[in-house]
Amino acid sequence: MSKNKDIAIVSYGETKIALRTGRSAYDLASEVFEQILEKTGLEPKDIDGLAVSETMSETHNPFYSVYVAEMLGITPRWNQVTGLGGCSTIANVARAASAIRDGYCETVLVIAADAQSSMQTPVEQGAQRFEFQYPTGLKGPVGAFGLMTQRYRHLYQLKDEALAKLAVTQRNHALLNDNACEKLRKPITEQDYLNSKYVSEPLRMLDSVMVCDGANGVLVTSTENAKRLGLKKKIHPVAYSEISSYKSTEFTAEIIDTGFSVVGPDALRKAGMSVKDVRMLQAYDDFLIALMLVMEQVGFCGPGEASDFILSNDFSFNGNLPLNTGGGQISAGQAGLAGGGTNFVEAVRQMFEEGGTRQIPNPVNAMVTGIGMIPYGRNWGVSNVLILEQ
Amino acid sequence: MTTPAVKKIPRPIPTPNAYMNTAPFWDAARQRKLIVQQCPRTGKFQFFPRPGSVFTGRRDAVWTEVSGNGTLYSWTVTQSPWPGHEDRVPYVCALVELPEGIRILCNIFNAKTEDLRIGMPVKLYWEELEDGTLYPAFQPA
Repeated sequence: MSKNKDIAIVSYGETKIALRTGRSAYDLASEVFEQILEKTGLEPKDIDGLAVSETMSETHNPFYSVYVAEMLGITPRWNQVTGLGGCSTIANVARAASAIRDGYCETVLVIAADAQSSMQTPVEQGAQRFEFQYPTGLKGPVGAFGLMTQRYRHLYQLKDEALAKLAVTQRNHALLNDNACEKLRKPITEQDYLNSKYVSEPLRMLDSVMVCDGANGVLVTSTENAKRLGLKKKIHPVAYSEISSYKSTEFTAEIIDTGFSVVGPDALRKAGMSVKDVRMLQAYDDFLIALMLVMEQVGFCGPGEASDFILSNDFSFNGNLPLNTGGGQISAGQAGLAGGGTNFVEAVRQMFEEGGTRQIPNPVNAMVTGIGMIPYGRNWGVSNVLILEQ
Repeated sequence: MTTPAVKKIPRPIPTPNAYMNTAPFWDAARQRKLIVQQCPRTGKFQFFPRPGSVFTGRRDAVWTEVSGNGTLYSWTVTQSPWPGHEDRVPYVCALVELPEGIRILCNIFNAKTEDLRIGMPVKLYWEELEDGTLYPAFQPA
């Protein structure tokens, strides 16, 4: 299968992830924008497309993406805002590729910024939650993943030492990542994971992300235009798959069966790859158990086999299947709804061979995944997979 | 020096009709009856309530009373509470599956957490909230 490499990611930027910065999403986005301009030598006028991710901190503004353009000083001929939670950034890469192919624009800034931990009051998602969720006291995503973990333990063997191994591997990566939240850049042991207090038992504190502030983004253009602009670094998005509201009308579907059962195999088929070909996995990690479900449902191992798969593979940056080499969101901090771009930007950094002390050898490709929104009584609302190649 | 009083958020009380007409559900609850929407064309049940049938897209779902006898599908012991539930810690949040083919997110009462088992039979328990609202919960059958 010949892969379409007509679209290129030519640059990236990322702020440090930090707790309660008191900054705004716009200010954080501007920092990413400046980095991209400095690295590429481009000017704002060279960017004619904008794709932004919905935020927690600015979501009350229905014109957010236009304000971003105003704040940054760009004049997009195509402007997209995507509200798929942690799926938004890689979804925007796919949407930008389509817009470029359709001729709406040539060079797109895909950017995500959020100051969620600096917000005074939480955003209200409303709908059925007032009547059928809040009175029960379910602790949001933490509670939902507690229910999923309990269910997984009932159906399969869940080995705590496998979760502990993931926690320690990601923490070791965060120690090497200057952009990771300082509060989290402290070594942990497997015993620390096991001793970590329950927040929604059987879910532990160290299973979970900590909400922070931060921003990240990339520049997407046609491969042809990248050559014309003389941009040296480029990698290609070669396959993408997305699903929302998987099995939402099957009210007794197994809650640990997620949309990755569909999008994982679909993205691999579109890329003409098997899981054995995946060089690195930069997977959305709001909770460690999500990584196990994604590994199983994408097809790295069979249902219920994730514990043994984890214990028999090396996920460190110089291991056989590097995983979340920036620390993931769990150890680098969750940059609010910009967190969906954190592991993606790490994939781009690694493929540009700019990983520094945590550089993955021979970074020929990457699988990046997203998880978005927590619905009533199921797992998550959106699943997506993007595959990048040199 | 005195510590400033922390303003306590009260436990959330359901607000009927927040996004669609759910008054029949809460009217029935006052009579300790659990009613659930049913699609008249497919016979299937759905929960939480929707503006129409999610099976056909038609706005003709009807309310049907169910027994409230079900099984425990999954549960979690909440140590870190949702705002307003601080006084209740630790409390059990659960998904209960009803034979009509739906699940309800709920609290479990009158059970020790060590006795909870996935698949155990449970039955309805109406919890009276602060304002007198009867809220559906479950307990071991």
